[in-house]
Amino acid sequence: MTAFISILVGIMLIIGAIFAAGAALGINRLPDVYTRMHAASKAGTLGSGLMVLALGIYSQQWDDFMRAVATVCFFLLTAPVSAHLIARAAYVVGYRPCKETSIDELHMKKKNDDA
Amino acid sequence: MTNMVFLMNLLLAAAWGAITGSFTPLNLIFGYLLASIALFLIREQVAFREYTQRAGKLLILAGSFFLELVLSSWRVLMIVIKPKIKLHPGIIAVPLTVTEDFEITLLANMVTLTPGTLSVDVSEDRKILYVHCLNVPSPGETINGIKDGFERQILEAFR
Amino acid sequence: MSGFDAFAADFLYACVSISLFILGVSFLLIVYRIIKGPTLPDRIVGLDLLVVVAIGLIAVVGVGSTYTLYIDISLALGLVGFLATVAFARFILNRGQAKDFIIMQEVKQTERVEEQKQ
Repeated sequence: MTAFISILVGIMLIIGAIFAAGAALGINRLPDVYTRMHAASKAGTLGSGLMVLALGIYSQQWDDFMRAVATVCFFLLTAPVSAHLIARAAYVVGYRPCKETSIDELHMKKKNDDA
Repeated sequence: MTNMVFLMNLLLAAAWGAITGSFTPLNLIFGYLLASIALFLIREQVAFREYTQRAGKLLILAGSFFLELVLSSWRVLMIVIKPKIKLHPGIIAVPLTVTEDFEITLLANMVTLTPGTLSVDVSEDRKILYVHCLNVPSPGETINGIKDGFERQILEAFR
Repeated sequence: MSGFDAFAADFLYACVSISLFILGVSFLLIVYRIIKGPTLPDRIVGLDLLVVVAIGLIAVVGVGSTYTLYIDISLALGLVGFLATVAFARFILNRGQAKDFIIMQEVKQTERVEEQKQ
């Protein structure tokens, strides 16, 4: 039983680390703030959540596992809030999306409001 | 009414914990299951059917949310490791059917954690959600995806 | 201790080492983005991700040292990181609306890049 848990925990750690590395690669390769936010908020959250859950499983105790689940739920609640706050602040202040951006309806609305 | 049933279920679970003398999470979950069986037995009196249906819909909502989270991370990973990144990002306006603040918050959070979308702003009259998309070949499809997926599920679970 | 048990222990040890290595590399990548910028929100996204990866690193260290109290540490770090990101976002919003000089320069730069490409 312990052996199976060890292998499961090891695989979860590796997958979580790969997702975290993907997020780190993403914020280096994507073109602007808004696209970078995609990488940071999704892949990063899933990666660290998997690793914390792996620690909870590894402890093999109910209270530790429940705390790990609570931690993951907390991350899932806060990650989108912080991503949304940064994106909104950046947009309101006036940082423009990159040139590949094909359509920007929020900008169109702002222009209409000003006019 | 539904909240009352949920409260009764929690109280019965707490009572189970008290009489067995241990408040470990496992025992409380077991007590909760026992309490829901007990409530199921008196379902005629407490409108239990509605309660189970709603709980089932909430579970479906949570399950599809986790699935989408994994899918979206996978897609971001695939985009990032490709040698040449070719993207057409954009900000699109999604008209909202949900009206309560709580539901809008939930929808915006879920949109942020699902494939290729990130909520940027809500219009002041709370009718339009502005969503930044990683890749928008056709805005209409993305809007329909959000409206048919999460918004419908949220409406079903909380109305 | 059977052969399978020994293999599982070795496997876990190897996994911990590999994930520590991957996380170290991602730390370097994120720090590169934080230093390079080019804008303030970019750096804040980098700091946010740095905290998230640090939480993962703490969990891996916890598995490596079989010390489960690390769960509470990662929860506390997640709280602090979230509050820090919220504070940074408020900072951008306030300074931007007050027309802070450096932020306005960065904004103009992003606008200029956009015009050049069109």
